[in-house]
Amino acid sequence: MSRPFLPVSSTASEPWIGARPRPGARPARALFAVFALLLLPAITGAADAALERADDGIRLELKPKICTLGIKDQQCEARVEASWHAEHDESLCLVILERPDVKKCWEHYAAGTFTIELVFREDVTFELRDPGLHQVLASEVLRIIKEALRYRHKRRQPWNVFD
Amino acid sequence: MVAVAILAALLAFRAAIAADECESKSEDCVAVGHWNFSIALGGGIRTDPLGDSASIPLVVIPQVSYYGKRFFLDDLDVGFTLGELGENTFSLIASPGYDRVYFYRGDLQNFFVNGIPAGANGAQSGSAIGPQRQAAVRSTRTPRVTYLAGPEWTFAHGGFSAEVDFLHELTDQNEGNEIRAAIGAPLLESHGLLSFNTGITWNSAAIVNYYYGAANGYRGGSALDPFIKLGYSIPLGGRWRFNSFAEYERLARAVEGSPIVNQNHVTTVFAGFVYGF
Repeated sequence: MSRPFLPVSSTASEPWIGARPRPGARPARALFAVFALLLLPAITGAADAALERADDGIRLELKPKICTLGIKDQQCEARVEASWHAEHDESLCLVILERPDVKKCWEHYAAGTFTIELVFREDVTFELRDPGLHQVLASEVLRIIKEALRYRHKRRQPWNVFD
Repeated sequence: MVAVAILAALLAFRAAIAADECESKSEDCVAVGHWNFSIALGGGIRTDPLGDSASIPLVVIPQVSYYGKRFFLDDLDVGFTLGELGENTFSLIASPGYDRVYFYRGDLQNFFVNGIPAGANGAQSGSAIGPQRQAAVRSTRTPRVTYLAGPEWTFAHGGFSAEVDFLHELTDQNEGNEIRAAIGAPLLESHGLLSFNTGITWNSAAIVNYYYGAANGYRGGSALDPFIKLGYSIPLGGRWRFNSFAEYERLARAVEGSPIVNQNHVTTVFAGFVYGF
């Protein structure tokens, strides 16, 4: 999970940097620092919880994640392992968009693994959905990467007996 | 003349010049930097215009090609592509003189059957050289391996194709010239393709006499040999396809008139299965 990055900037032109504190301000600032330190774990914990709620804390992983096609290859053939885990027990189903016949469901599990032999020519999308299959909880794509090739015109000779 | 022909070709096909870049492997496009091998297994014959041996059998025909960014190898032809303009390709090529195959069974062109004979030639494994022709051959200058080189223009789009080569003999054997020109068009196209090709091979007198001039004083002039061909090809699934063709070439009087040539035509038929590796 990626955390939001908060940019920090400071310049010497800012008036409070390097400025001598007023005599009466030191106790108040110390009190604020202690208060902030006490609150920090609660603040960061709340932020994490908010982020996890954003994706329901359910993570889906595919092995392999890509299939590389060579020049002679027309399709990928792979044994694909889809594994998921969640922070809490969940009831959900794994579906493959390009294979409507495939559906694997779990009830009150915090993790699961599903393995399937696939033959495919295009990207394959795996989705974790709620038992009613209405809401997508997590999604991963098994991608096909075609070998980076350059093409040029083939020589065609009507003079040639085979062209 | 060459410049005029190239310019004419440019103008003629300017309308067809679109942004036709090769982005994937297709009938007209091939991957750069990869070798391509295929082999045809089947049955066929090429008639022997000398008439002193059985027809030439065609059974196994390998094909090999390699395309670099500009360099290419196409069986026994090598070339350098000067540029592509839409579906037009301009190259400099070097190609062997075909007629030698008649005199040497071990000539590589007896294995890579890809050309249309300019006169009496072709794959002839298993054919016998009769006494009459042996005498004639002995009396003529021994033909060696020759290579001709020059500019080539090819055009290909879908089932349509065209080609013009202006070649000059570079291996210091006869210093003759040769022009190969042909067009191809689809007749019926569904799952398979029925195509029609026609064209000419023109050889200067130097080439004709190098092969067919005889010690008895026969000297032929230049030769213009027209040909027609019907071909049918259909993919069979996987790396296999079926390929067949029938071709008829009429020999020019300059070749037919040679004392070692007894027929005025060459007929080639073949049907077989092609496997691409």
